[in-house]
Amino acid sequence: MYEPHRLHPAAILEFLITNIYKLVQAMLPLMLLALGNSVIRKWLIVILPLMLLCFIIYGALYWLRYVYYIQDHELRLEFGVIVRKKRYISFERIQTVQVSAGVIQRLFGLVKLQVETAGSGSNAELSLPAVSRAKAEALQMILQNTTGFKSAVANEEDLQQFQLTTPALLLLGSTSNSLGLVLAGMLTIISQLDKLIPGENIWERFSEYAGQVLSETVGTILLILVAVFLLAWLLSLLGNIILFGGFSLKRDGDNLKISRGLLEKKQLTIPIRRIQAVRLVEGILRQPLGMVSIKVVTISNTGEKGEGNVIMPIIALSEAEDFLRKVVPEFYVSLDTEPLPLRSRIRYIAINLIPALVMVILASYFLPYGYLSLILLPLALGLGKIQYRDAGLKVQDGIMLIRSRTLGRVSTIIPRPKIQSLSITYTYFQARNTLTTLKISIASGTVATWVKLVGMDENRSLVISQWFSRSLG
Amino acid sequence: MFCIKTDIFYLYLEVDDLQATPAYQIDPQAVSYWRWSGLINSIIFWMMVLAYYNTMNLWNPPGWIFPALLIAAILGTIFYVFLVPQIRWNTWRYDVSEQEIDLYFGVFVKHRTLIPMVRVQHVDTEQGPLLRYFQLSTVTISTAAGKHQIPALADSVAAELRARISLLARVVDEDV
Repeated sequence: MYEPHRLHPAAILEFLITNIYKLVQAMLPLMLLALGNSVIRKWLIVILPLMLLCFIIYGALYWLRYVYYIQDHELRLEFGVIVRKKRYISFERIQTVQVSAGVIQRLFGLVKLQVETAGSGSNAELSLPAVSRAKAEALQMILQNTTGFKSAVANEEDLQQFQLTTPALLLLGSTSNSLGLVLAGMLTIISQLDKLIPGENIWERFSEYAGQVLSETVGTILLILVAVFLLAWLLSLLGNIILFGGFSLKRDGDNLKISRGLLEKKQLTIPIRRIQAVRLVEGILRQPLGMVSIKVVTISNTGEKGEGNVIMPIIALSEAEDFLRKVVPEFYVSLDTEPLPLRSRIRYIAINLIPALVMVILASYFLPYGYLSLILLPLALGLGKIQYRDAGLKVQDGIMLIRSRTLGRVSTIIPRPKIQSLSITYTYFQARNTLTTLKISIASGTVATWVKLVGMDENRSLVISQWFSRSLG
Repeated sequence: MFCIKTDIFYLYLEVDDLQATPAYQIDPQAVSYWRWSGLINSIIFWMMVLAYYNTMNLWNPPGWIFPALLIAAILGTIFYVFLVPQIRWNTWRYDVSEQEIDLYFGVFVKHRTLIPMVRVQHVDTEQGPLLRYFQLSTVTISTAAGKHQIPALADSVAAELRARISLLARVVDEDV
């Protein structure tokens, strides 16, 4: 590792494919135009192989120039054919190390290693697209042993390991948010189906066929609905199995090691000290089942929003505390909170009810059957009530737990040193009721994450800011 | 910290401590600066309203839009030229201690923000053309989770504050 290394030659193939993909992406409209011209089409037979040759040569040169090594506590990368670049990343700046294997990597039994820092931009700071497993592991060892503290745990069996059972995976897919997305997508496609396939009226045909079976329009509609739901469920299930199949989580010394994915195997190493906050998310479909997913907030830029920072896709709420204690004891708190004062209840209800009321009035006035929107009122009322009931906050052993709900219930756990700033805000109306809003900022990539709790008692929020303050406390 | 439940006297003592707003006010010139910048914004808005009035006949919008825009322009001008600058200045307080930066501000919503010194990543002063005319500067404090500003300080005060914060922020703490 300390002397310069090249990537595995398979990297040439990877470079080739990315370059061609980029070119096609950029030139696609132009190419389509060119294909319409017969003269250009003739020339293409000559040009295309020539271009391919150029790309292969460029890829090979790029591979030749792509060199990485470790020196002076830095991971160093030198690359570039025409413009030569040197990129040095000091170990202290490394946020996460991710190992994954796509199709090309699997073909040659290799892995792709990506190193992220807290810098801005959307790409990984340093990417080694094709290295052997052994080299990747050796590199990871060096990075971990020099960045974090040495692993305290001696043997593998002592490590806390969590896996996803098959029933859990099924439950995950069945209650995922993607279910709604898939459903919406399918409904859009269905409504456009007539236009996609010209000359055929699919719906007439379908209802004719279904009519023979059910001989009722209501039956037909029901049948379609059931079919759509079933298909959406299957797709969502499939998507989640591909993403989270073979999930395992391990606490190894000062790192969390996650591996997941069925088609593309991903391995993610998150140093514990890089974790800014832990979030327990209970979606509206999962909460009734007593299930919760656990995420982390880290400073990274390639972390895919959504599934990238999930450390436990699904777990029973009753086991969540135990999970925290075993996997991230640095973030362990008991999950009960102190409720908000009763006088903020009416405000939680009003804030949901008033927009609903406006919508109902507008709908009943402008839309036929608009009065059906009256159903929104009890829903808004109910939502306001449970939003109030679920909102709460606690401080325990230098760790803050804030819980609130928009639709799903989210509990955020933040140790005091990870809080970047704390604000107490109040409007004129809040001040009259001695209520405040507590806002906390935590670092997460390019945009800050704000955690907010509306309707706290004034004195309570002052005590909280005293807990946070270095000079007032 | 939970003396709150056992010792009420102690709690109120501490709370009073906190409720006292930070010590320093920003430069009185800030009021004129905000009035002028409010005026410039109003003029731009008035010009847009005027442009709308002149092109209104070309396409047939609902009749209530123009009066609504007119009222918004009048109210906006009154607010941002005459009322808000003074209120904003009266509210603004800041303090920079060795341990943290303490801000208190807000016109419609009051904010009290605490930024620990160890969380400060860097500090800038900046000055647009209008601020330069009034010889004022804005101090911007960056943390890993966004920026906070102390607006419209006299140039010398701002420079001194920037130097002081960047010196105090050099303390190495638990990493980000």
